[in-house]
Amino acid sequence: MSEFLHFSEHTLQEVAIAWLVTVYIIRVIWFLRFKPGGDRQPATGAADTTPRRGIFYSWGNIFMPWAMESTRRNLLMWITFGIFHVGVTASIALSLIIPYGPGLLESAFVVTLFQILIGTAFLIGVTRIIRRAGGKYMRALSSPDDYFSLILLTVWFFFAFLSVPNQTTNGETHLLTYFLLTAFFLMYVPFSKISHYLYYPFTRYYLGKTLGHRGVYPVQRG
Amino acid sequence: MSQKKERSQKAEKVIERMGQKLNRQIVGSLTACVHCGMCTESCHYVLANPGDPTYAPAYKADKIRKLFKRHYDWTGRVIPWWVKADSVWTEEDLEELKDTVFGKCTNCRRCTLNCPMGVDYATFNRMARGLLVSVGVQPEGVAVVSKDQWELGNQMGVLKEDYLDTLEWMEEELQDELEDPSVAIPVDKSDCTVMYAINPREVKYDPRSIADAAKIFHAAGESWTMPSEGWDQTNFGLFSGDDALGGSVARRLYEKVIELNASRLVISECGHGYRSTRCEGPNWAAFDIPFEMESSVLTMLRYIREGRIKVDKSRNTQLVTFHDSCNNARSCGLFEEPRELLNLVCENFQEMYPNRAENYCCTGGGGAMSMSEYTPNRLKSGVVKADQLKETGAEVVVTSCHNCVDGLSDVIRHYELGIEVTQLVNLVANALVIEEKIVVPVEEVVPVEEVVPVEEVVPVEEVVPVEEVVPVEEVPVEVAVEEVPVEVAGGEVPEVVSADAMSLAGRVIVVADDEPDQVEFLATVLEDHGATIYRAATGDEALELARREKPDLLTLDLHMPGRDVGEVFEMLREDPELEELKVCVITGRPELRKLIYDRSVRPPEGYLDKPVDEERLLLNVRKILELAD
Repeated sequence: MSEFLHFSEHTLQEVAIAWLVTVYIIRVIWFLRFKPGGDRQPATGAADTTPRRGIFYSWGNIFMPWAMESTRRNLLMWITFGIFHVGVTASIALSLIIPYGPGLLESAFVVTLFQILIGTAFLIGVTRIIRRAGGKYMRALSSPDDYFSLILLTVWFFFAFLSVPNQTTNGETHLLTYFLLTAFFLMYVPFSKISHYLYYPFTRYYLGKTLGHRGVYPVQRG
Repeated sequence: MSQKKERSQKAEKVIERMGQKLNRQIVGSLTACVHCGMCTESCHYVLANPGDPTYAPAYKADKIRKLFKRHYDWTGRVIPWWVKADSVWTEEDLEELKDTVFGKCTNCRRCTLNCPMGVDYATFNRMARGLLVSVGVQPEGVAVVSKDQWELGNQMGVLKEDYLDTLEWMEEELQDELEDPSVAIPVDKSDCTVMYAINPREVKYDPRSIADAAKIFHAAGESWTMPSEGWDQTNFGLFSGDDALGGSVARRLYEKVIELNASRLVISECGHGYRSTRCEGPNWAAFDIPFEMESSVLTMLRYIREGRIKVDKSRNTQLVTFHDSCNNARSCGLFEEPRELLNLVCENFQEMYPNRAENYCCTGGGGAMSMSEYTPNRLKSGVVKADQLKETGAEVVVTSCHNCVDGLSDVIRHYELGIEVTQLVNLVANALVIEEKIVVPVEEVVPVEEVVPVEEVVPVEEVVPVEEVVPVEEVPVEVAVEEVPVEVAGGEVPEVVSADAMSLAGRVIVVADDEPDQVEFLATVLEDHGATIYRAATGDEALELARREKPDLLTLDLHMPGRDVGEVFEMLREDPELEELKVCVITGRPELRKLIYDRSVRPPEGYLDKPVDEERLLLNVRKILELAD
């Protein structure tokens, strides 16, 4: 292993993670400085719907494709969304496994599993780029950041896929690219749309609290 | 050398005030969108305008989001183009934003419920409306209605005397209908259980719903009252985004309940009124509510559950479907109770799909009915609702919202669906089983010689005592009240009240409408009741007939060929020879109201939405001609 690869796997990643955490803390403080917005109204709706239940329902909403018409009618979209995000998790986990627990990758099963997840996420990333650039609606919605973030992740998946076996027999370019991309990704995230997962718990919390209090969540259908 | 861009004062204020409006829920919604496009197909505007991405909720939201990003978020401040952050500079920019937030969204919240991220677009769209309103950029209709609500305390500019007059009129109608002079619509009665608040639309266009509610309260033996002030449960602050107006209107209502010492505020069927009064009002007004509040839907259901009223569902036999108001269902969780009630008062209920919190907007939400400049677009978007309605095969669509009544009526008319729109209060009143009572009227007397020959007067002991109420089952069938002459002191007997008392005989009415079927219907109904009718198919003909025949009443369609009807109306009003002429607008296009009401002449004496049924037509005509007094 070259010194540069070692640096990229360790020091660079640690700095990038520290940067990410710091910026995220600042971001959460910024967010919490806005007023929470109260609700004085007495509860409406069915007696068994409460703010607490609404919050949990809201958080879990994404795992219930039947809960929203948008996911119910686009089940394939929901499945690819799920795999894509599992791929992100696997790729991040890989960036920690390679430097701190490489022994895990000696298992052929683990390698295959990671490659299937990340490889599928890569393919989904490609289809999403096509969808975003090719669809009239998606094109109208998209900003340069949307395209860049998606392309960044897809390319990152590609190199993560190649890096899963953690082999340098045929050179270390793929590993080096993967770790450099990971570091860039970690540092770029707080300023891009990818930071949505930081806001997700808050946005869903407040929506769930309101709609739970008002008896709308959990959504009833007839 | 680059020139620094100047920002208008209004644009400056919008940006500055945005900072004051931001809270965590809104900031979360403004930051969390990933432009995934999942919300796109949830919007009825998108479905009705395929291929036009400018209607996509995320696209519309970005018109507001770009300001937040440019002025309040970090990436947008540094590299705005990267995240599509942008500002507003000119009046044109604000006008463009106005067309999006008022004209392309009804704040129905359907996209919110379909967003995987929980982005509440409707909430920050309302915020944007409020920002624009605060600098005077708003649709004209919004300005007019808001002004009325600020100044007159109700959003339709109903004067106090007209409101009280309508209550009195409905009280009399009800007394006639139930043949019971003890039936009352109490006003400002203290210490009642219920204070009933209504939508001004009920006073202006649908007074029957007030009578129906009164009938139900009466049958339930409720201790209730209506307030003389602070009776409008609607709140244009919800639509305009003006929290100050919202708070003021809500507070007016709450304070009246406290002043009258009522223990419960019952809100008549109105989606936005219910949401504003029950849910948002306490927040806008910073008011902790010391009494109960409920929709009249819950009140009626409770009466049936508790056995306080009896209903016979066989009186409502038509196939009905139910339209969930967005504000009731998606913002207040009110969707099961109306269904339970419907099933108790109707024989044939057919569910509409999708329904409850997933139902589509009627197209009239978010104050859209008051924004005539967006009407063509609104009606176009109504195709989604029209398809939904058609699929049910229903003859009647029921809704618990006055806005929805108007919105649905427009859609039904536009797409020629031939479906009737009604509310639960009407169906419950129709299904109500009331022990009939007979009462002898005493107020109006006529000389004996004009009524019955002295020898035909029945002996005193056989006479029904004055003011004594006799249950129907205790009275022999042949003793109908009209057939019982009653002796009273002074040798006078009460007048026999017959249908002829409400006759239109001797009245001259000009019916002006360009639809032959409509003219025929109106003319036939009015002629059948004794009126002399002249028909006009254009504004000029109406003008000519009015000048020549000097009618008592002119029914005026707002959309006829030839001269602008608004101009015709103004000419009629300004003609000194037609000072006595009463005008009743009968229109299928409520958005044209401004043609008449914006003029600085005396407004019409009556207004009716098409389709008009016989009962409503006669009620209103008699009222206008003061035959109902």
